[in-house]
Amino acid sequence: MNDFEAEVIRNEQIIKDFFIIEFSLSKPIEAFEPGQFVMIKIPDQRVFLRRPFSIYDLHGDSLSILYKIKGEGTRLLSKAWKGVKTQILGPLGRGFNINIPDIFKPVVIAGGIGIAGVSLLIKKLKNIPDIFYGCTEEMELRLIDHIKSKPVFFATMDGSYGFKGDVITLFERHFQGYNSPIYVFACGPLAMYKSLKEKIPESIHCEVLLEERMACGLGLCFGCVKKTIDEKEPYKRVCKEGPVFDIWQILL
Amino acid sequence: MADLAVGLLGKVLKNPVMNASGTMGYGVEIEPLWGIEKMGAYVTKGLSLKPHHGNPPPRVFEEKCGMINSIGLHNIGIEAFFNVYMPFFKKKDLPVIINFFGFSEDEYVECARYIKPHRLILALEANLSCPNIKAGGISFGKEPESVYRLIKKIKSVTETPVIAKLTPEVTDIVSIAIAAYEAGADGLTLINTVPAIHVDIENRNISIRGGLSGPLLKPIALKAIRDCSEKVPIPIIGVGGIMDWEDCVAFFMAGARAVQVGTATFLDPYAIPKIIDGLRNYMDKKGYSSINNIIG
Repeated sequence: MNDFEAEVIRNEQIIKDFFIIEFSLSKPIEAFEPGQFVMIKIPDQRVFLRRPFSIYDLHGDSLSILYKIKGEGTRLLSKAWKGVKTQILGPLGRGFNINIPDIFKPVVIAGGIGIAGVSLLIKKLKNIPDIFYGCTEEMELRLIDHIKSKPVFFATMDGSYGFKGDVITLFERHFQGYNSPIYVFACGPLAMYKSLKEKIPESIHCEVLLEERMACGLGLCFGCVKKTIDEKEPYKRVCKEGPVFDIWQILL
Repeated sequence: MADLAVGLLGKVLKNPVMNASGTMGYGVEIEPLWGIEKMGAYVTKGLSLKPHHGNPPPRVFEEKCGMINSIGLHNIGIEAFFNVYMPFFKKKDLPVIINFFGFSEDEYVECARYIKPHRLILALEANLSCPNIKAGGISFGKEPESVYRLIKKIKSVTETPVIAKLTPEVTDIVSIAIAAYEAGADGLTLINTVPAIHVDIENRNISIRGGLSGPLLKPIALKAIRDCSEKVPIPIIGVGGIMDWEDCVAFFMAGARAVQVGTATFLDPYAIPKIIDGLRNYMDKKGYSSINNIIG
């Protein structure tokens, strides 16, 4: 972990409201886990706190983030031009467990911008995962252009491509067909996790990536907690004990 | 090279810079970035007799020039702190200030009684912004009488120096400082976060309350320090909006003997070591041999 000086190499709109920003870091990041995140200082004085983003791609000193404009921070980030310098702290938090036993078939479920959190996981998993991707409309499928070579099941809410409906309903249709045990990784909105938790039995291993408002990203402030089943200390820090949690440990 | 060492509450600290309570977790979290022993002392997260779960999320809210937190005093309890984390500070040989709170006078007193004197425990810092349940929820720190009574009781059960951390949400902070001093407080920490509300205009939510922190607190804290230091002879630890070493110098000049840095660490996790280096460079450049040359 380090606080890197970073320079914007490119900041491209992929589709409306979705951008990929690539930074060149002052030093390479040697070790990281898929699902870990970074805290980016938005290069604009109007934004006070840094913002957390999942590591979308990382090769040595080249770091990419896939982000969606959701508020003031991401809106101003989208205005950062090539050559702009800032600070990036990371890699942070606890990522996905990629060393799953071979007997498990990995299954990756992503909803919308959630693909940003599992993209590296898909690349790093030893065995090729089944990927379920759900989004609102066909346009968003451009976000997974780079992983089309791997088996992908699509769901769009408007039915403009693939299954019409939400990705968990699509996954549920395939779920009974698995002959070998599966290991589920998911990244998406809370509603997706709630639905997923209802549809699979507790015997299924399932790791989910959570997001929460953060101040420090380091576990210093206890600002980004999520409630878990631990009665002794129910609120766990998303930045420190997470952002990846066992779905059976958290209360949704 | 200038000497940053400062005498405080009967001990000598290697420098006058600490973290503000609740802004550096349990101390171990910063370890991957820099050694916490760089600071003059570590201030614990607010601890209580029994663990507290804290508030449900969201707990932090950004404002244009700062942030509001409503962590809700989440902590593992005093006993667990000593069992789990105190060995870390012993290994580091780093003085610790135990920040603590209660929802009744008895809880403060029991907490203070639990903490046995130790060479590395510099002081007990009583967070007086806590609501007194028996008094209908008004915070202990708002009336000189309740401050006097509470500090007096705490002092009667401990030999460790006691610091009163005061809330700025009072009509006259000097009268509160005098009450703490007269009750036997060995020092003051000025100031706690400023009570504030965040209005969520998207969801028309006006119920989010918390403590405001960030650079805009600096001039408010400076005034409290200046005013209190003129009337009260005990050392003052200054806190509120310190972002860089220049701010620290202002705090010393206003009358602080040591400083605590909080929100700045969230923006830049190296803020504290940078401040310590900056102070040293400033003193070298100005030809000050000791930090005492700028304090007061």
